[in-house]
Amino acid sequence: MIDFAIFAVTMIAIWSVLGISLHLQFGLTGLVNFGQVMPFAVGAYGAGFAAAHGLPIAAGIAIGALLTPLLGLLVIQPAGRLAQDYWALVTLGAGEIFRLTMLNVPAIAGGVEGTTVYRIADRSLAMLLALALLGAAALLARRIGRSPLGRILRVLREDETLGATLGRNPFALHRLVTVVSWTLAGLAGVLYAHVVGYLSPGAFTVGETFLIWTAVVLGGPASLPGVVLGTAVVELTAVSTRFVAQWSHLPFELTANLRLGTFGLVLVLVFLFRPDGLLREAKARSDADRR
Amino acid sequence: MRTCPTRRIVLSMLMLTAAALPARAAEPTVPVGVIANLTGSDVPSSVDMVRGVQLAADELNAAGGVQGRKIVLITEDSEYRPQAGIEAATKLFDVNKVEAAIVFGGSSVTLPIAELARPKGKVILNTSASSAKLGGYPGTLYSTLPLDDIVGAQVGAYAAKMGVKSAAFIVPNNTFGTGLMDAAAAAFTAAGGTVVRKIAYTEGQPDYRPDLQPLQRAKPDAIISAGYGDDTRTVFKAARELGITAPWYVAYPSIFAVEDPAWLNGHMSGLDNGGLDSSTGQRIKAIYAQQFKGEPRPHYFYGYDAMMLLGRAMQKGGTDAAAIKAALPLVAKDYDGATGRIEWDDRGQRINPPMDYFAFRDGKLEPIAAPK
Repeated sequence: MIDFAIFAVTMIAIWSVLGISLHLQFGLTGLVNFGQVMPFAVGAYGAGFAAAHGLPIAAGIAIGALLTPLLGLLVIQPAGRLAQDYWALVTLGAGEIFRLTMLNVPAIAGGVEGTTVYRIADRSLAMLLALALLGAAALLARRIGRSPLGRILRVLREDETLGATLGRNPFALHRLVTVVSWTLAGLAGVLYAHVVGYLSPGAFTVGETFLIWTAVVLGGPASLPGVVLGTAVVELTAVSTRFVAQWSHLPFELTANLRLGTFGLVLVLVFLFRPDGLLREAKARSDADRR
Repeated sequence: MRTCPTRRIVLSMLMLTAAALPARAAEPTVPVGVIANLTGSDVPSSVDMVRGVQLAADELNAAGGVQGRKIVLITEDSEYRPQAGIEAATKLFDVNKVEAAIVFGGSSVTLPIAELARPKGKVILNTSASSAKLGGYPGTLYSTLPLDDIVGAQVGAYAAKMGVKSAAFIVPNNTFGTGLMDAAAAAFTAAGGTVVRKIAYTEGQPDYRPDLQPLQRAKPDAIISAGYGDDTRTVFKAARELGITAPWYVAYPSIFAVEDPAWLNGHMSGLDNGGLDSSTGQRIKAIYAQQFKGEPRPHYFYGYDAMMLLGRAMQKGGTDAAAIKAALPLVAKDYDGATGRIEWDDRGQRINPPMDYFAFRDGKLEPIAAPK
């Protein structure tokens, strides 16, 4: 049981880093990224490329960590000066283009067949690495959120024109957020690859993006603890319903569908009764509030 | 002290569960994992596979179980997603302590599960994935169906024997499609044929005319194909609309969906995994018809064989994974299953499988003689 709990905590930590990445983009800055799985996949495929070409693990980490922000900048270049609706479309398309490229170019990392990656055999070590990455990502996001940069990002989220009238360049700030948040997601992808040990394009579909979105919206996109909580709720609901299904002794066809139905019901109930997410954005306190 | 009704209900349920658990634990059992995509893609085939496994487990239990212990199946949903498949396998191995799991799923799900099972020393019985890459897990993964390299080579050879000089390929862009295409193309070329075009289409498209137009321009003698479900129907529709008249030689014609039977009449033939007309196959087919009112899909037979082989290996060697691995090749030698005789190579992959040949005539697949 303890091994399974370690596995679940590892996955929650990895997906929470992805959630924090989306928190920086959407929760803090208002950028709607419907291709959030792409930086995750780029990071994972950095590790996959290294494994497929006999390069050391460190090379895979470096490729994943460096390529992710570069591709992020490439994606936002055409989208950066467009309204945010277009940003959503461009990122959605970019995610699919990347997945299809991995599918159709076997020279990168095995194409449709996928590739085997060095797997961290020690589950506890994998969990510690995931928790360390989560801790670092949370600290970074917290620091950004509380800094003057975080305040101007919130201004951009609410009114981009107002941000520009304050003498800030919204596009430059969007680029900065993209570099930081995509790097975090890329590192999560590298770690995911080494935890799972095998990569194929089927693991990085649009469905994964919307799973991250579900977790972030559920927890509260503008709240850092909320994002982690949302990810934990989504992952634990998926896991716990497996045990309920097993103990119910109902027919297997029924339990599989009931399991997904329960999962959906939990989400609908939360969205109904907590439309802003489980945790709302904490109101910033000013000196005037304290007086 | 007052207790709220919800709390009372929850407490009662917990007490009932606790009361039920020791009673079950007292009975000596052997847990066997089953991972199938019970939601997501290709659910009917997956459900039939689990039904086949269940039937075999029931028969083994009726005969006394394995080493005096009843087999208990723990069925998990992979949702046809690698992530969910890994989650299911981790639960089965780490919580339920299963020594072996029977898996239905594409290679994208089965390969990461095998990757997880190998260092843990567990056994996987594969009933549906067919990527040649699955042969890379000797001692961990055993297949009850032949991999793509075996079937693909036979399709390529079949087209060549039918006198086809030039062929174009169209398959779905996944491990199943491209694996079959590569093996078939190699065999076809080795037999003197010329491959004029290879097309791997993205699944789930509403129209495949853009994919088929280059194929049409290549003017092949015949089209060699693999595929399944609604996509194959859409491919046939596009071919009909484009006026393509070349004959189709296909792998697994039973899983193709025909769009216009009149148009395809006499134009499609191919080979399928055979052996389903064995006495065991016929017997369990009749049981299926009685229980579920219909025709079982092929994976029902593969699931049955996987569970039977696993049960016999447990009976012969023991119920831990190492004993199962040692006994599996031995019991397979004497096993005449629902899909015919099962012969494994050193990797645990099926070789020399019985093959049946079919032609599409008068709206249905009719058995035909194997080409000389």
